Amino acid sequence: MIEQIRNQARKLLEDGDVDVVIGYAEGSDPSRTTPVFIRKAKDVDKLIYDPRCINSLPLYLNKRHEYTRKGWKKTAIIGKGCDIRAIVQLIAENQLKRDEIYILGVPCEGQVSHPEKWDGSLHDGNRATKCIGCDVMTPHETDFFPGTKPDVDRSSPYEVTSPKVANLMELELDKRFAFWRTDFDRCFKCYACREVCPHCSCNVCITDETTPSWIDPAAHKKGVFSWHLTRAMHLVGRCTGCGECTRACPMDIQVDLFNQRMKEVVQESYSYKPGYSLEDKHPLITYQVDDREDFIK
Amino acid sequence: MGKKIEIHDFEPKIMAFVCKWCTYSGADLAGTSRMDYSPNVRMIRLPCSGRIDPQFMIKAFEQGADGVIISGCHPGDCHYNEGNYYARRRNTTFRQLMDFHGIDIERIEFSWISAAEAIKWTEVIDAFTEKVRELGRHPQYDDEIVDPYAQFLVQKDQESA
Ligand code: SF4
Ligand code: SF4
Ligand code: SF4
Repeated sequence: MIEQIRNQARKLLEDGDVDVVIGYAEGSDPSRTTPVFIRKAKDVDKLIYDPRCINSLPLYLNKRHEYTRKGWKKTAIIGKGCDIRAIVQLIAENQLKRDEIYILGVPCEGQVSHPEKWDGSLHDGNRATKCIGCDVMTPHETDFFPGTKPDVDRSSPYEVTSPKVANLMELELDKRFAFWRTDFDRCFKCYACREVCPHCSCNVCITDETTPSWIDPAAHKKGVFSWHLTRAMHLVGRCTGCGECTRACPMDIQVDLFNQRMKEVVQESYSYKPGYSLEDKHPLITYQVDDREDFIK
Repeated sequence: MGKKIEIHDFEPKIMAFVCKWCTYSGADLAGTSRMDYSPNVRMIRLPCSGRIDPQFMIKAFEQGADGVIISGCHPGDCHYNEGNYYARRRNTTFRQLMDFHGIDIERIEFSWISAAEAIKWTEVIDAFTEKVRELGRHPQYDDEIVDPYAQFLVQKDQESA
């Protein structure tokens, strides 16, 4: 499979169809892979793909990132299904044009959640939660796919894959509050969760703004609650569930639980699943006259 | 004349973000008609309920509000035709987010109040103030870091007393 991808990448670079291929290469130790930017056809043999490639590459397509300012006209990117959902969402939000991107789709069998858990194979003990019940193991939007793409039914509603969301929802309100309060005590506002997110596209994040200072910059509970509420609100209906925010958090705070819960809400209220359609409008920039308003007096 | 002033142990601080075309005019009408309503509300006038960014509510709670009211024109009456429809969607999701954080969504009130509904305005305010009074102080910052200068002033006050 990877041979076909390499050949296609070589062809694209030799013909000058793309300026760069973004993919994965062997990392610093055998359990890790690292993102690579390949500019020359002779380097394509560095490309690999296996269950260690959990990094979400569409981050590098985000306009906020310096790589997008290098003047590259067309970028080829290796995408597993969930990454392609992020790319589709970026296109739907006009952050990216479809013809600027060449998607080299790969069939995926799931990813290992953490490099430390890699023992040479993928199994139930080390599979990332986002890979359970994934419906894009055969990617939906591709320019190149090794072999033939089988038809997959992707109409089923979004399923929350982390059981923690349901567990938290079952708790009493004050218990849930206590849970977050203890968890947020550890957050020291490094903003890694924002930096890795492919959908945090703002050049100046609202939390970095100082005139006015919308979010208390201090890392005590005031500022931390505001930060997490804001971040989650900005990603409502946009998060494509890559789980990178939680994976990046040095304090092991499960920040993507909010995003998962909000995906559930958006699904229930507006039957919207982000990352599947290039045209669908984001649910918060559109409306129906008869939307639910059971909470309004 | 006038309402008898009641003394309560806890006076909730309530922020209201209102649309200037409907709710603000309604509140204005309540004022010019000399209607009595609970003084716990601080109002901020905005052009439209669609202008009420959830950030405002987050900020209000961060700064120590115990409850927040959002109000604008009834559906179909928006001065800008559709602003309140966006507000409605935004608040549907925002409330669920607050709920997932364990913050009681009873602390956020959303109501359609037109420029003629001064009576509704006073009723909403009074009922909401009572509700928040019962809920008590917003627990978010019970152990917030106390401003050392304010602390100093309090100590001085106690020494001189
Ligand atoms: S919020 Fe987290 S899970 Fe969602 S897209 Fe951003 S990084 Fe991925
Ligand atoms: S948290 Fe909000 S303002 Fe900050 S980068 Fe993300 S989307 Fe932009
Ligand atoms: S990555 Fe973790 S510690 Fe850093 S700001 Fe996000 S939640 Fe807080």
